[in-house]
Parts: sequence; C-alpha cells; structure tokens
Amino acid sequence: MTLHLINRTPDNRGLFDDVVEAISEGDYLLLIEDGCYAGLAQTRAPLGSLPRGSVGVLKEDAESRGLLGRLDERLELVDMDGFVTLTERFPKSLSWF
Amino acid sequence: MTDSHHLATCNDALLIVLRHPPHGSSWLREGIDVALVTAAFGREVELLFQGDGVFALLENQTTGALGQKGTHPQLMMLEMYDIERLWVSRTALTERGLTTDDLMLPVSVLDSDEIAALHAAHASSLIF
Amino acid sequence: MLSYALLVHAAPYSTQGSLSALRFAEAVVARGHAVKTVFFYRDGVHNASTLMAPPQDEVHLGERWRRLHATSQTELLVCVAAGLRRGLVNQAEAKRHDLAMHSVEPPFELTGLGQLVDAMLTHDRLITFAP
Repeated sequence: MTLHLINRTPDNRGLFDDVVEAISEGDYLLLIEDGCYAGLAQTRAPLGSLPRGSVGVLKEDAESRGLLGRLDERLELVDMDGFVTLTERFPKSLSWF
Repeated sequence: MTDSHHLATCNDALLIVLRHPPHGSSWLREGIDVALVTAAFGREVELLFQGDGVFALLENQTTGALGQKGTHPQLMMLEMYDIERLWVSRTALTERGLTTDDLMLPVSVLDSDEIAALHAAHASSLIF
Repeated sequence: MLSYALLVHAAPYSTQGSLSALRFAEAVVARGHAVKTVFFYRDGVHNASTLMAPPQDEVHLGERWRRLHATSQTELLVCVAAGLRRGLVNQAEAKRHDLAMHSVEPPFELTGLGQLVDAMLTHDRLITFAP
C-alpha cells in the first residue's frame, strides 16, 4: 500500500493521469503544495474515480492558498502531524511532480 | 510480452520511474545515475518509462549539437549493470504516436492496470 | 519508533519543497520518530550553501537544517556529483579541484549516491520532496 504525494496544480494533466494510473485499491493520495488546487470542488483533476477517504489535502498548504471552504467536501483535511501519521500507516511513499 | 507472473509477485527490486524527456532537463540523467549506482551496489533495479519519459528511448538521438552528453549512452550501459527489466506505459506510447519499433531497447509494454500492479508489487520506488 | 530518510530535490526558496521537507522532518521528530538522513540531490544541493543570506524576515533554511542536525543528529548528506556541478564544494573538494573558495561546511557532508542507496535500505521510510 502506497502513499502518493503530488505537489503540482491540475494544469499538469499528464502527471495527474499518470498518478491515477499508478494508484491501487488501498492507496492514499495526499495533495500538497500546489497540488492542493486539485482539491477545489471544481477542478480539471481526474480524481473523481478515487474512493472517498483515499484522498486528502495538506491543511496548512490549502489554508495559505485561501482554499479552505472551497475544497471538495469528500476530501480529508490532513495537517502536518497527520501527514506523518500517513507515513506511519503506509510503508511506501511516492512523490509525483 | 508482459511478464504478468512477475508483476503479481512481491519484489525487492528498486523501481525507478522515469517521467521526463532527455536534454531539456537533467531529471533523466540523474535518475539513471541512481539506477546505475543502485545496481552497482548489488541491488536489483527495474525501470518504468511513463509520460514523457518514453522519449528517453526514442531512436536516433544525438549529442553533438547541444554540447551535452545525452542520456542514450547511459541507457546503453543498463545491460552491463544487469538492469534488464524495462517497462513502458502503453498509454504514454499511444498518446505520442509511438510504438516499440521507435525505441532503441527491447521493452515490455504495460496497460494501465498492469502499471498499478507493478507499483503495488515493489516495496520501494523513486520517481525522476 | 520509525527511522526516516528524506530525499530533497528542491532548491531553497525557488519552490516550497525544501521548507516542506523541513516542516515534515520537525513533525516526524515531534511524533517520536527519528530523521536519520536527509539526502540532497539535484538542485536540492543548494540547501547546503554556507553562503546563503536570506532577508532577516524570511526563514533561514540553512540554519533550520543545521538546527535539525544539532537537535536530532540528522546526517545532512549532499550528493558530491550533483554538488560539484553546481558549485557546492567543501574545503577538501575545493582543494582537489583547485578552487579558490568553498561553499559547503559541516554538518553538511559531501557523499556519493551510494549513501542514498544505503539510506533506502537501512531506514524504515523514504520520503521525497520535489521542486
């Protein structure tokens, strides 16, 4: 089981397609840095196929970008401590950029 | 050509995912460097070419015009380091109008679900 | 307790990656784990520059890394090949290459890529911070 990290905006369409292609059941996707923009309720990011509870947004990064209150309600808000907790849960992580 | 038995089994090899094209940046070069050093330390390495990374394998690349070393000489060294499992995303090839005939090395082509299985089977991976 | 290695590709100040890596490292330590190794590769090697002098009202990334080393004994490893190409050299390498100055000092160490391979094999977790 893998924790996927993505730090690019959904304008990088090919990158998001590659991430979605690589994700297996039980994996988790955390949107960090500019990746948080993919968490907007309206987005080009192809995240609709991923199950509820398997996608999160790094809270501090979303907050600093003015995105709190605009995020898709199905996403989990994860703070830096929660990010570490995810790495405890998932032995493997992959950073996409 | 897919070795699906291999995909299904848990795998100690380091999987290095190459997603960047040659020449324009050093992502590819410095990713392959990690592959070669890891192999030199006796650890098994496999490469997955995804996205623009498939351009790394395109035939007829040259070095002269840019005054750069290029990455194709590095790729030719893979066999010497026993890095023989080269996986390529079918989507990446198709979207770029390429087939395996356009590539300089023999590769195994993977469909989307097989790429997820490949990732799941490897305990450690790095993306470049 | 888990042992962590971080791989930093991000140049300081150009992108958020270095600061993310530092904040993550501090959070790892706060949860009782150990950040054993930070390996700087590609443009991440610039994090090791002794000559970094950011404005006073900005985070000093170099100092934050040194503090991490001081408080957590984290080894700060800089890929020597990536560093030499980009002008990140310690005293010994400056001498070897006949350079008038050096730009890397302890606790940052210049090492080979083999140390990254070693860190991957030795530690429980490897997290990459990209540009």
